[in-house]
Amino acid sequence: MKIADNQKLDRRALLKLTGAAGTAGLASMAGCLDDPSADDDGEIDELTITLSQFPDTIDPLDHITGDFFDVYDHIYEPLFDFEPGEGIFPRVVDDWEIQEGEGATELYLRDDVVFHNGDDLTAEDVAWTINRTVDPEMGVISDIGSFGLGSIEGAEALDETTVSVEYGAAPGLAEFEFGNYARALDMQWAIDNHDAENEAISGADPEDFNGTGPYEVVDFTSGEEIVLERFDDYWGDEPPFETVIFNADGESNGRVNSLRTDATDLTINILPEDVSTVRNADDIEIRRVTSFRNIFCPMKNTVEPFDSQEFRQAMNYAVDNEGIASSVLSGYGEARGQPIAPGINGFNDEIEPYEQDVSMAESLVEESGYGGVEIELTVPQGRYLNDAEVGETVADQIDQLENVSCEANIVEFGTVSDANSAGVDPDVIEIPFYLIGWGTITGDTDYGVQGFFTIPDNEARTFDDEELSDAILESQQIEDPDERRQQLEEVNRLAHEKAPFLFLHTQESIYGVREQIEWEPREDESVFIWDME
Amino acid sequence: MISERVKSNLKQTFAESLLPKLGLVLLVSIVFMALFAPVLATHDPTRTGHYDEQGAPYPPLGHEYTAEIVQDGEIVEVPVEPTSEHILGTNNVGQDVYSRFLYGARISLLVGFLGTGIALLIGVPIGLIAGYYGGRVDDGLMRIADTMLAFPALVLALALLGVFGQSSIHVPDPLVIAGLADGMPESVPVPGTVIIVVALVTWVWFARVARGEALAIRNEEYVKAAKSFGTKDRTILRKHVLPNSLTPIIVLATIQVAAIILLEASLAYLGFSGTTLSWGYEIERGQGILRSRSWVSMVPGIGIVLTVISVNLLGDWLRDALDPNIEGEGR
Amino acid sequence: MTMGKFLVRRILQGIFVIWGVITVMFGLRAVSPGDPATLMLGEGATQELIERVREQEGLNEPIYIQYFEYLQGMVVGDFGYSWRSNREVEAMVIERVPATIELAVAATIVAIVIAIPLGVISATRRNEPADYGATLFSLLGISTPNFWLGLMLILVLGVWAGLFPTGRRPVGFGQAMMTLVQYGSVYDLLVWLQYITLPALTLGTYFTALITRLTRSGMVDELGKEYVMASRAKGLPAVLVRYKHVLRNTMIPIITVLGLQLGTLLGGAVITETVFNWPGLGLRLVDALGARDWPLMQGIIVFIAIAFVTINIVVDALYNYLNPQVREG
Repeated sequence: MKIADNQKLDRRALLKLTGAAGTAGLASMAGCLDDPSADDDGEIDELTITLSQFPDTIDPLDHITGDFFDVYDHIYEPLFDFEPGEGIFPRVVDDWEIQEGEGATELYLRDDVVFHNGDDLTAEDVAWTINRTVDPEMGVISDIGSFGLGSIEGAEALDETTVSVEYGAAPGLAEFEFGNYARALDMQWAIDNHDAENEAISGADPEDFNGTGPYEVVDFTSGEEIVLERFDDYWGDEPPFETVIFNADGESNGRVNSLRTDATDLTINILPEDVSTVRNADDIEIRRVTSFRNIFCPMKNTVEPFDSQEFRQAMNYAVDNEGIASSVLSGYGEARGQPIAPGINGFNDEIEPYEQDVSMAESLVEESGYGGVEIELTVPQGRYLNDAEVGETVADQIDQLENVSCEANIVEFGTVSDANSAGVDPDVIEIPFYLIGWGTITGDTDYGVQGFFTIPDNEARTFDDEELSDAILESQQIEDPDERRQQLEEVNRLAHEKAPFLFLHTQESIYGVREQIEWEPREDESVFIWDME
Repeated sequence: MISERVKSNLKQTFAESLLPKLGLVLLVSIVFMALFAPVLATHDPTRTGHYDEQGAPYPPLGHEYTAEIVQDGEIVEVPVEPTSEHILGTNNVGQDVYSRFLYGARISLLVGFLGTGIALLIGVPIGLIAGYYGGRVDDGLMRIADTMLAFPALVLALALLGVFGQSSIHVPDPLVIAGLADGMPESVPVPGTVIIVVALVTWVWFARVARGEALAIRNEEYVKAAKSFGTKDRTILRKHVLPNSLTPIIVLATIQVAAIILLEASLAYLGFSGTTLSWGYEIERGQGILRSRSWVSMVPGIGIVLTVISVNLLGDWLRDALDPNIEGEGR
Repeated sequence: MTMGKFLVRRILQGIFVIWGVITVMFGLRAVSPGDPATLMLGEGATQELIERVREQEGLNEPIYIQYFEYLQGMVVGDFGYSWRSNREVEAMVIERVPATIELAVAATIVAIVIAIPLGVISATRRNEPADYGATLFSLLGISTPNFWLGLMLILVLGVWAGLFPTGRRPVGFGQAMMTLVQYGSVYDLLVWLQYITLPALTLGTYFTALITRLTRSGMVDELGKEYVMASRAKGLPAVLVRYKHVLRNTMIPIITVLGLQLGTLLGGAVITETVFNWPGLGLRLVDALGARDWPLMQGIIVFIAIAFVTINIVVDALYNYLNPQVREG
């Protein structure tokens, strides 16, 4: 460990001192068991971040979970910097050029990038990583391939530092995808660490992690914590903290407690109920931003009663989105009437949320011919801001319609996630109506609608409508950015009208942060240490 | 069946001590609450949205708190006053805590008693037959019992619920149908799978006790005599073995009612209840808001403790009064 | 029966039980709804991927082949790979065992340290205020759901009184001892103690109540027996009689019950770990259930069963040793 070289009083050094000072000081230590590492000399050289889920794999491509990326992005850095609402900027990729009419973009890599194990980064590594993600024949099975890099068809190394990425959609869309999800793994390392029996890159020792990011792993305790230190041979700017520790706590109030007792410096996903605890404590504060994550209830239109557009609209009119945002979410959400959040390319300003109108809802239900129907809303617990509470309220408000009875069924998130990918075959559907959230983290409408609504090659869609599907497919082929944006706005308008979802709200991301840390939360929920000071 | 001596024993113990009386009064009140929940409740327990004008849940009477909410993009602190409309306040989805407390008693008692009943119906016959016949049947049963007991009941129940899912059956509420309680839910959710699962993880205890009794009784002279007269095994089991094993089974049943109520609460707490009206579920709901709105978890917890105490007090009374029989068998 | 024969028989029975547990778990998995391949892949899996995973995992094989392969794996200690994290299940189980043992041992210590004196006082001062207090305490103790107790302890001792931290624990016992050895500092050990106090109280309360009751009733029985009367008559000091003889005889049923209640202790640990986010086996089990990560879930349950059976054999042997009459029975 390199801690010994460090001039700052870190935790270990302090432990040594207290040890040397003998037991006299210990009585007082026991009285106020604050972590000595959070020393008050203004500078922190060790940063602890508490997530809500702990990444338990060394392969950054294995999961599409936001919390995991918060860790991996620092070890296996993204190829590009992505700024929500602005686009992509150079990082490992220095420059890039669209090959007009070829359905390809050439990426030019920096030539001074090295992996933590000393290997040089080559174009072959990048091409291999992309291919491994999108080609199920050769590698990792994960959502990154089917969702994150949905239009990417493959990649090829042209020389030491040039990669050609091929795609089947407009370059603008492909850019959103590889700009967010492309990473570089060390090909040789990956092959060496590949566990044939398990068909995965696996390992649980610190050395098993190997990226090009500004931090390298020095300690890893599965399920508990992962300790990163600055990578000395990093090509770019030195990141702000020598040591970064990630751990996880599934409960919001547990995370807040860690923050309050100095056990952590930054924590994500704080529930509204815990906000006051942070605000009332010294030198920590709440930082928040309206995220790219929309919460809604898909209604699969291949089964009754959701095959009726009137019925689906009635569900939207039955629910008081504004009221839910202000009471159940204590104001940490904005009512929404389209699939994506403001700030995302293609967001339609003119679409207002459905306003609650019970008599309208009741007459629409009558029109649909499904008066007296009984339905069930399946709701996950602990995944989104007060999700179970939101779902229970939605179900109850629908239940208050004279001619519909509705009940909430609260389940583990896995059940909802399965329901979401079960497709629209009426013989297979068990859960046609459920609450789920989607973060359109690429900043482009396509990522928020394509997986749900397009028909070709999309078994996991939740809605079966040619018109909506065609509108999205059309947008994927439009090369002109303005024209494409207009088409996406049209897609959102169409989605509002066809009501494939019971639209609810866009939720805020709420973070608890130590005051000295200069950092503003991002809409796409990424936490980048290199943005901090 | 139950001898005069036992009866007088029961009476005497009941008269001597305050505790069984307390248990009886408690249990009767809770059963009363559960039965007449629709009449006693002030609100539909599932109806959401009872917030004050700022969108904050009400505290219980005599209590106030500060809620922090976002208004026009800023976090502001607003004081929240109680209201006599909701004597125990409302929870985080704006449901009436008092009404949910009453309805929660129904779920706890239903699962406790029905679960025990089913466990009894499975366990006692199997145990009696195994003990009476002995041999291979008995060996087989004991191995199954050992296997079942190698799982903590909670873990086995969780695994089973993972397989069966958690569904509830809606049974019409007679009080509401009779028009005695307007505006209350027309049906009561009975957590069917939970009831079956708790029975499946507890029947072994009954089987073990019944087996032990049957083992002891089958060598008694009167049983041997009955056999030699050519009485059918079934008749012997029903007329002689079962009645004589009744006392320990009754005592065990009381203990199991308490244990199952606690097990149901734990399952509901972990999110495997099949209904949101369960006390355990309500405690979980309140966990996230423990700091600011502790009443949401506190009220249902008190409900569980009182119910289990009442059952345990009665169980202690039965055990003390019937003790000699069990002890005699045990040593 | 000799001790050796007894042990051999119990161990054979134990192996049978563990085989039963493994088979039951396999059966549950086989009848459980949901395609494992879909479960593994989660959101947005394509049909192509699902088919490939089915092939890979042998899910297209006949069920009995799957069963034998599964059993074969278990025998050599290969519990498979977690669907969620792709890690070896054995490793994921083993790394969580220490925290659960820490908790279970701490809770047992709490229980014994509080309960036995309480039971003795209660038995020797029958129908005095101390006895009523102890009786009330044990009644409450066996009637309170431990997760609720945990929350109330967090609320009262953690939040209101501010005496104990309630977040995720920063150090384990192992690391705390390392700090002690390496730096001679008890800092981490004190932190560890602060964090384990509430969970240990939560898990331990039920057992404290149970043992208090057992000790009390056991002592009441023993105190009424002839040999106690006789020793008293001989003028042996009352204190000696009370503790040495009576307590020793009372211990036998207590040990038995503790052995039998091990399942309850482990079940309680599952819930207590959930309440306190304690990084033990129970929390991992609940996580695995939530994610429907079957290999991990099976691995944990089979491990718990093995531990349970083993400890029961040890308890039986101990009981056997303490109370030789059993062997004849």
